[in-house]
Amino acid sequence: MLGNIYGARRLARGRRRRARRGRGQGRSERGGAGPRAAMAQQRVLPQSKETLLQSYNKRLKDDVKSIMDNFTEIIKTAKIEDETQVSRATQGEQDNYEMHVRAANIVRAGESLMKLVSDLKQFLILNDFPSVNEAINQRNQQLRSLQEECDKKLIALRDEISIDLYELEEEYYSSSYSLCDSNDLPLCEAYWRQDFATLSPESLSMPLTAATAEQSVATSQSSTPSHPHVNGHGAGPTEHS
Amino acid sequence: MAGYGVANERLRVLEELEREIGASLQSAGTVILELSKEKAGERLLERQAAQFSAAIQKVESELSAQIRYLTQVATGQPHEGSSYSARKACQMALNRVDYARLKLGELARACEQMLEP
Repeated sequence: MLGNIYGARRLARGRRRRARRGRGQGRSERGGAGPRAAMAQQRVLPQSKETLLQSYNKRLKDDVKSIMDNFTEIIKTAKIEDETQVSRATQGEQDNYEMHVRAANIVRAGESLMKLVSDLKQFLILNDFPSVNEAINQRNQQLRSLQEECDKKLIALRDEISIDLYELEEEYYSSSYSLCDSNDLPLCEAYWRQDFATLSPESLSMPLTAATAEQSVATSQSSTPSHPHVNGHGAGPTEHS
Repeated sequence: MAGYGVANERLRVLEELEREIGASLQSAGTVILELSKEKAGERLLERQAAQFSAAIQKVESELSAQIRYLTQVATGQPHEGSSYSARKACQMALNRVDYARLKLGELARACEQMLEP
């Protein structure tokens, strides 16, 4: 779509330029150049990929041909001929040099093939969309399953703790350590008051501290006037003997 | 990375091809070395030459197949997929677990303090 927009803009600019230059050109030429410009603009990106892949093919063919030809020529050169145009020593030296050069060509072609494989790996990683999509989907699935497992365990933990908390509250409010007074708040109000005040573990564990220090119950009550009962039901002191 | 089977399969094939290129050059060197001897072993020569030829053929056919596949799937656009959202959600879940562990630790310490004589 972007290519169409750019192509249309170029077309418009080209027409304006030609109109400014003069009206010598024929309409057919102008009309033919515009869509061609748009097509060329559209084809830029895919053509570079196509050109790259064609270059990979060419490199492959050239390197394999080089290896095979040089190897074949080395084998042919290894054949000892009785009749030579120059002396045997000279022929031997020439054959030696030729074999060295051909062997070096084989090694160069092999290294060029290794480079080609490396380029193909890079191209594959960046442009193999089916594999990339599958890798992303698998990763998402793994992460989602881990997240669900964590949340499931947290919910199970929450359920267990709420059961224990209920039992603890039952025990606490039926014991002599809890005192009920006119400042008792319902559960929701106590919760929201704690939200406005500083919410810290110390404030939650305050009832436990008050329970152990029986002598300082009065002072702790005076120091924490908004000491709420988290649970709605509190046992009065008259119920305990 | 072991989970990404298909994604890595082609990369594994390309790595295998690299080894194959090395093996073909090794075979070619063995043939030339054997030819340089006074008495060259024919069977070794033929075997190594056959290995060299087979390796080069395999390299050419596999690389051509990879290039053909890339010609079909490659586009001019970059891939814009991401697993960031799932990773973020998982990270938040792990943070929740850590926070719960921290709070339970504090609660346990408070209970232990209460139970101390």
